[in-house]
Amino acid sequence: MTDPGSALRVSDLHKTVHVGFRRQKVVILKGVDLEVRPNDVFGLLGPNGAGKTTTVKVCLGLMRPSAGAVELGVPGVSHVGYLPENPYFYDYLSGREFLGFCGRLFGLDPHLRRERVEALLRDVGLERAADMHLRKYSKGMLQRVGIAQALINDPELVLLDEPMTGLDPVGRVEVKRIIQELHERGKTVLFNSHILSDVAELCTRIAIMRDGRVVWTGAVDEALAEAPSLEDFFMRVVTT
Amino acid sequence: MNQVLAIALNTFKETIRDRVLAVIVVFALVMIAGGLWLGSISLGEQGRMMKDFGLVAVTFFGLIVAVFIAASLVHKEVEKRTVFVLFSKPVSRASFITGKFLGLCGTMAVVLAGMGVFLFLLVWAVAGDATGMLLVAVLMIFVQLLAIMAVTIFFSTLGSAILASVLGICVFVAGQLSHNVLSLTRLGDNPVTKALSWVVYVVIPNLSSVDVKAGVVGESTLSWGEIGVWSLYLLAYVVVVLALATLVFRRKEF
Amino acid sequence: MLRRLLVVLVVLACAAGVIGYQATRPPRAPANPRMFVPSPQFFTDFSPSFRTSIADAYYLMMVQYYGEHVNGDGRLDSLPALTQLVTSLSPRFTRAYLFSAFALVDAERPDVGYALLQRGLKANPDDWRFPAYLGFFAYRYGAGKDKDLVAARWYQLAASIPGSPSYLPRLAAVLAARGGDQEKAVLMWGQVYLAGDKYVRKRAVNELNGILPTDKAARMRAVAPLYQTMPKAEADALVGELFKGYVQ
Repeated sequence: MTDPGSALRVSDLHKTVHVGFRRQKVVILKGVDLEVRPNDVFGLLGPNGAGKTTTVKVCLGLMRPSAGAVELGVPGVSHVGYLPENPYFYDYLSGREFLGFCGRLFGLDPHLRRERVEALLRDVGLERAADMHLRKYSKGMLQRVGIAQALINDPELVLLDEPMTGLDPVGRVEVKRIIQELHERGKTVLFNSHILSDVAELCTRIAIMRDGRVVWTGAVDEALAEAPSLEDFFMRVVTT
Repeated sequence: MNQVLAIALNTFKETIRDRVLAVIVVFALVMIAGGLWLGSISLGEQGRMMKDFGLVAVTFFGLIVAVFIAASLVHKEVEKRTVFVLFSKPVSRASFITGKFLGLCGTMAVVLAGMGVFLFLLVWAVAGDATGMLLVAVLMIFVQLLAIMAVTIFFSTLGSAILASVLGICVFVAGQLSHNVLSLTRLGDNPVTKALSWVVYVVIPNLSSVDVKAGVVGESTLSWGEIGVWSLYLLAYVVVVLALATLVFRRKEF
Repeated sequence: MLRRLLVVLVVLACAAGVIGYQATRPPRAPANPRMFVPSPQFFTDFSPSFRTSIADAYYLMMVQYYGEHVNGDGRLDSLPALTQLVTSLSPRFTRAYLFSAFALVDAERPDVGYALLQRGLKANPDDWRFPAYLGFFAYRYGAGKDKDLVAARWYQLAASIPGSPSYLPRLAAVLAARGGDQEKAVLMWGQVYLAGDKYVRKRAVNELNGILPTDKAARMRAVAPLYQTMPKAEADALVGELFKGYVQ
């Protein structure tokens, strides 16, 4: 169990995979150090292939670390919510059925489950589409139901991988509102995003990854003090 | 337990709504009804022909459904990345494998019950000699297919869905030849080949131990004790294979 | 519009071609009277769970083979092997024995038919039809002066099996008493008609037509014993066929 000061601590995380018929060795993470404090809205940034998604997967136990350690500041994955990148769900289920299924996986009792499902459908603006099969949902609607399933268990730590993908401006505003509300309720949020304006607006702290390592970590204000915009700061960090 | 049931119910919904399944079942019913034509050229043995060929059709189509759906169950979740939704929650690999298997069992039970009842009613209406034994035979086909489903799920955790389905069918065929493998264990003097034969004999499910079809057509008298022991053996086999599948699946990363 | 019309015409022409091709295929050449028949051991070894299904498949094949050749080239070379296969895989498949026994007569192998019925009796000791048929075979196709007695013993055995018809003892008695050949023959063929399928019944009628007197009154006297050894309905049906063409 980690110290109460961290919601998530990653220490010297290494991850190597073997791909292809010849089992070629690919080193994805080369010693990632990361600390997310309680109630942070933490942005994990980096170019494609930097290892952001892999880091999150190792934190969740979807992948095993080759070396290093991950310590969750919450009592297990039952207190974590996760939205994968480009989510795909069970297209033969309706939105309501899918959220109910996710609630069952957390062992929520039926009454609480029903309440949460309805509340989340309202929160993400999917009340009217709740009984439609997910195969008929647009990308934006899928993203919203994905956020809803990440919150079904009222998690203390929420990991969102590219939560704004596919959302129209209205959807993005709603997601930002949800993230802000989570922060106001004392939750910890970690999200990956390429939309740096959103990161600048929402995040308290960020880490920038490049080539399997964290190359910079700190408060957003610190980054903005060193460059006119977060984009400029980001470009400077990843290109030097 | 909640997770197992949730995954089982989800799997049942997924598989029972599959259009390919509906097509296969329609074909199966057509084949079963085809026994009517065979019966008409059998010089008065309509009942026997309908029962025998009907049970062969139930076995054959049941096998196709079992193998092809079982092979894709795990594979689809990994391909479509719905595993991220599942395993980011407090769901163990064992619950996942068990839930998937139970969900498919539910679907197979519905499919086989439908085919079995159809066959029973057809035989009763046309030949008038349908007995409860016919439904027992369908139940035993179901139990055999449970073993094949478990084996196919195991193979699907190792490789592709196509390979798993081919291997599942091979195991079914091998299971019918189980007694031949037993003979091999007694042939020759080489202890190594005998030991290997014995291992193969134990590993392959014995699907030919009791011939329920012969009992249905009056060829032999069935012993309930034998059927009971055989069923328990197959259920135990399922448990072992699913445990192995879980062990393999635990090593998988997504 | 023109293109669509052209496509429709092409499709219709192809459909006509498909139907026309199939409709103009020449009739199938007569099948080879010698067909490959695997040994029963092969199937017993490799698919014990499906042996009855395989027996059924070969039974149907056997019926088709018989029907095709008995009215065609008359050659039934593979029939003994087929009957052996079917009855070995499914020893309690009674119909297969009973059909095969008479089919083997057409293959000029009544001895094989007799042996087949004996095997059938061994596998089905509680079925009176086997000793009853054996009795017929012994009488009709047996040799030597004791054949009537042998037939009588078979009928006595048949009569002793629970469920056998009540007139069997009379048959046995007639044979044992060495009654007139014609009366015995009429009774035997009546039994065959009673228990047989459509092919066997046709044979029974033909044989009876061959041995019965043509004079109507004599013919009626000759067929009268049938009513003592057959249920009335079946006896009526048989007599009806034997008196086809006779003025009422």
